[in-house]
Amino acid sequence: MEQEKKLTEQESLHLITMMINKAKESYHDTGIGAIMWGAVIAICSLVRLSEVHFAYRLPFDIYLLTLVAIIPQILLSIREKKERKVKSYDDPYLDYIWLGFGICIFLLIIICNNIFNEWGAWTNQYKPATGNGVSYGFYEFVGPLFLMLYGMPTFITGAACKFKPMLWGGIFCWICCIVAVYTSIKIDLLLTAASAILAWLVPGVIMEKEYRMYKKEQAQLNV
Amino acid sequence: MFKDLDPILHSQLRLAVMSLLISVKEAEFTFLKENTNATAGNLSVQIQKLKEVGYIEVIKQFKDNYPQTICKITSIGIKAFEEYVKNLQAYLTQK
Repeated sequence: MEQEKKLTEQESLHLITMMINKAKESYHDTGIGAIMWGAVIAICSLVRLSEVHFAYRLPFDIYLLTLVAIIPQILLSIREKKERKVKSYDDPYLDYIWLGFGICIFLLIIICNNIFNEWGAWTNQYKPATGNGVSYGFYEFVGPLFLMLYGMPTFITGAACKFKPMLWGGIFCWICCIVAVYTSIKIDLLLTAASAILAWLVPGVIMEKEYRMYKKEQAQLNV
Repeated sequence: MFKDLDPILHSQLRLAVMSLLISVKEAEFTFLKENTNATAGNLSVQIQKLKEVGYIEVIKQFKDNYPQTICKITSIGIKAFEEYVKNLQAYLTQK
């Protein structure tokens, strides 16, 4: 591009449009984080479903896999930040939204564990005193609470990045949240796995494909 | 009566740089080079001109022991760019 080439008004507007579009196209997430979390949550939910359905227990809690996945996520975030040549205005906000989401999930786990402990102690006293079992199970409502949280950052990211697969993924999480309120725990787990696949795994695969295409185009341009 | 188009912006490479920077928070020199297809020397000169008039801010730092140049549009730059586009549209609608 020549520096002092004078432009006509039409050429100027064309150049501005072209460059703004180029800048927009340069925001490409690798999608690896979304693929990883989609797969981890889907695996955890399906393994827990098999535990409930076939009445067996693994020697460890399968959801501990989510804690293990935090390590590659941190490394991935550091690497992606280093490689990024351009920062968008949305980047810091989205980072905080996902960090806030992680904190909310952590808090919800603590709250639910506390309720389970209290609930267990209470039901143990209830049956001998009344002779009847408790028909109300709090665990039936844990799935919808998580699905409600899954939907929020996914929907916001999809809307902010104008990335429809994630936007619809977020809406799907909320639909599953409503459905899960009225269904058994087995269906709740199935809905959680489906939400993780549709909200994160599938959009992640699409993002990764687009990222690879963008990299290929860039490599061809720089030859 | 038409206002004169800003001579700093009414040049191909400088306008391309400003158009890229208006859409992002900040960008590396290599990003601007790749997207404008300009040579490093040529781009450096034009970035310096934009910096001198206060349209952009240039931050020089080290990343993994390599020098890194980051460019950011300033509020003066945003105002000048908006004014330039407004004048451009006025020219085109009158033609």
